[in-house]
Amino acid sequence: MKGIIFDIKEFALNDGAGIRTTVFFKGCPLRCIWCHNPEGLSSKRELYVKKKGCLGCKLCNLPCDHEECQGFGRCLHICPKNLVSIAGVEWEAEALATRLLKDEAFFNSCGGGITLSGGEPLLQAEFAYELLSLLEGRVHRCIETSGYADKETFRKVIEKCDFVIMDIKLFDSDEHKKYTGVGNEKILENARFLKGTNKPHMFRVPLIPGITDTDENLRAIAEFVGEDRVELMSYNKLAPAKYESVGRKYTDLIDGEREINANLSLFKNATLRK
Amino acid sequence: MNKELYNYYIIDRKHEELRTGSIGDVAEEYSQKKLSPIERMVDRFEKMCGAEVPHIVPFEKIVMMRTVPKLPDCFTESEWEEIKKEHYIHEIGYVSNLSPNYEKTISVGLLARREEADEYGKRVIDAIIGLTDRYRAEAQKCGRDDVVEVLTQVPRYGARNFREALQFFRILHYALWLEGDYHNTVGRFDVYMYPYFKKDMYAGVYTKESALELIEDFFISFNKDSNLYFGQQQGDNGQSMVLGGIDKDGNDMFSELSELCLLASRNLKVIDPKINLRVSAKTPIETYKLGTELTRAGLGFPQYLNDDIIIKGLERLGYKYEDAVNYAVAACWEPIIPYVGNDVANIGSMNFPAIVDKAVRNNINAESFDIILEAVKSYIYEEMDDIERDINNVWFVPSPMIELLIDEKRYNNFGVHGCGIASAADALASVKKFVFDENKVDRAELIKAMDENYENSPELLHLLRFEAPKMGTDNDDADAMAKFILDTFSASMEGRKNSLGGTWRAGTGTAMFYLWHAGPLGATADGRFSGESFGTNYSPSLFAQITNPMSVVKSFTKPDLYKTVNGGPLTLEFVSSIFNSEENLEKVAALVKYFVDLGGHQLQLNAVNLESMKEAQKDPEKYRQLVVRIWGWSAYFVELDKEFQDHVMSRQEYSV
Repeated sequence: MKGIIFDIKEFALNDGAGIRTTVFFKGCPLRCIWCHNPEGLSSKRELYVKKKGCLGCKLCNLPCDHEECQGFGRCLHICPKNLVSIAGVEWEAEALATRLLKDEAFFNSCGGGITLSGGEPLLQAEFAYELLSLLEGRVHRCIETSGYADKETFRKVIEKCDFVIMDIKLFDSDEHKKYTGVGNEKILENARFLKGTNKPHMFRVPLIPGITDTDENLRAIAEFVGEDRVELMSYNKLAPAKYESVGRKYTDLIDGEREINANLSLFKNATLRK
Repeated sequence: MNKELYNYYIIDRKHEELRTGSIGDVAEEYSQKKLSPIERMVDRFEKMCGAEVPHIVPFEKIVMMRTVPKLPDCFTESEWEEIKKEHYIHEIGYVSNLSPNYEKTISVGLLARREEADEYGKRVIDAIIGLTDRYRAEAQKCGRDDVVEVLTQVPRYGARNFREALQFFRILHYALWLEGDYHNTVGRFDVYMYPYFKKDMYAGVYTKESALELIEDFFISFNKDSNLYFGQQQGDNGQSMVLGGIDKDGNDMFSELSELCLLASRNLKVIDPKINLRVSAKTPIETYKLGTELTRAGLGFPQYLNDDIIIKGLERLGYKYEDAVNYAVAACWEPIIPYVGNDVANIGSMNFPAIVDKAVRNNINAESFDIILEAVKSYIYEEMDDIERDINNVWFVPSPMIELLIDEKRYNNFGVHGCGIASAADALASVKKFVFDENKVDRAELIKAMDENYENSPELLHLLRFEAPKMGTDNDDADAMAKFILDTFSASMEGRKNSLGGTWRAGTGTAMFYLWHAGPLGATADGRFSGESFGTNYSPSLFAQITNPMSVVKSFTKPDLYKTVNGGPLTLEFVSSIFNSEENLEKVAALVKYFVDLGGHQLQLNAVNLESMKEAQKDPEKYRQLVVRIWGWSAYFVELDKEFQDHVMSRQEYSV
């Protein structure tokens, strides 16, 4: 079957053990205000126009007769700086697996593998499942997920993973809804399930200044995760960079200059990723 | 690190104030006296030694610096013109790019070497001893008993310990520069110095820390006079040091000394000596990790050299195994043989994109793409004919120092750079795909668009520049073209003799030709604009849409690189922030190992910070110590001409 992917990134250094290739699933049920991959939010193919380096020649605005450009209002085949493109490529699971397995021997020699990320891979659960099945027995498979999915879906997909990296962003469901657009009940239920399995996993907490990095939130999460491994992720100051490219606006509720509260001492087994 | 010494020589460059000596011009006098070339070399050397004023900085252990900045030419301009009528003169005509046998002289001393030297050798040795005696007297005056002791032993007699060996090296290396030889390489330092180091470490003379400090002192000595040395740009001076690699029995020579050298370079963050690390499929990941820690320092060191490829490639060209296995590098990356090699590693260059361009233009209406490939092949052979014809009767100014330090001129091969491989391969792949296979691009239209520098064909430009197969994206079609060109290039040299009786060696380097060859070349079928530069050395084109370093590694390991053993490294640039964690450092080390295991030849890995470079262009004074890698050497960014600065900034950077 087909899925929609917005990027494939080799030599991804922050997505699990060893050297990995990360495949980014397009579409996400959450709307975290700090998201740094705005092109991963919508499940549809969308116009992606980089502004930096634009010569202002307006060639891309001229009408063209390429089939693939219709409906986007721009020509994708003319920018002298290659700034106009479409985020989102449809892949057949098999073709994608072949592409990702290109470096199979290398992954296996250095303890690396493939990571599914996004967007939210569980939003294309069937596709993710098929892809993971194709990779089974070949390479180490990891998923990065918000955990926002029905429990059956979650359980079925993580069964096909060798390692799970799951976010817990805000422990209070109202807060969670306020900043990510959804409550966290499903997430916590799935997290509880994950904790109860012997599936190797790790929780991640994005440290968003003044929002998720309060002692109160961190303490609640710490209590919930207990002994499990946790990675606190520093706020990505480059998060706003891509919003303009997809015609979205970044939130003004985050003060990126404010120092984050990376209070590791609240956790039993946490590290900070800068 | 000895901060005082570092500040004196590197930051404040105080010693430059002492550069007041001069021997004036000598060429006119030599010309009138009709002195032979070797007489001139010796006379000038004696004058230079005589004019030097010893100066010892209180906190240095390894002494000798230049106080006579200018080395006047031995020949007048009109004499050079006469010489050039009969001879091919390489660069400035003096001997360069060899790997001298310091080891032998360091072990027996100059007096012993004097016994066997000819008249000129004796005079040169006497001049060196004269100068070092004056250094010893100066040391006495300064109350530096330690220096007096060292200089009482060396250079007259063989070194007894590590410090004496290092000081002796300094004296010989200094003398090579002073004689007018250039790109004087350091060779397999950790191999020939190891016995001295080991003996002292075993005897407890040094702790790891004090040994490191001595090595740092020694490393600083390479930077004292380096801005007086000849080179294309500041920093291009050939002081290449090779670490690690195997010996003839296959033993890994990477030692504690090698490790300390990596550490010293990392601590000092200076551009000399240039660190090269020999590795192979057998090299343990730990060695790569040590290398990567140096990469993190941002100097563009170490450059990795793959023994598996280089030894095989050298043997293929007729080098004996025991010589091939002992290879070191010339100024940049070209393998040279210590002690017995007299190769001229960088004598010529072939402009691949220009050859492909000519083949495309002359055969655009051909029935099949194979005809274009045939044309590329015949032009490469013709170009090689031209190179062979032009580079004839090569002559170097004779050098008594080199006679002293090179045992035998066993190998006299000429290296030719193969320039712009990615641009050339991409152009061929584009023409094959769009013109011949898919019929998507009209032939006449393509030629017209190139002639107009794509000014009236933005859509065609986009197709060729951004949507076409590119080397560096693990695209088999583009990579196959690169393999074809390099195989042909290598084959075109087979059976040819050069004027010194040696053969020819093909390479993948560009040196400065990525600008020089590219400048006059019009727009090409890979969507490259007229005059736009090529990638440095063995690298993707500057505008190829490259985001995946593993794909780059795969593309650039597909050709049979032992056939282009003269070399030229793949350059990968990583944004410096990725080196911030130990975990990432290990991952980068694993990537380097991947490259080597796949049959890569040479790798240049850089940690770069584009922001610092931008800032440095605006405010050079604040960034005087910012080091960047250029083609086979590193330089202080602010001392480069702007075109080199801009090129560095436009190279591919991976931000992972």
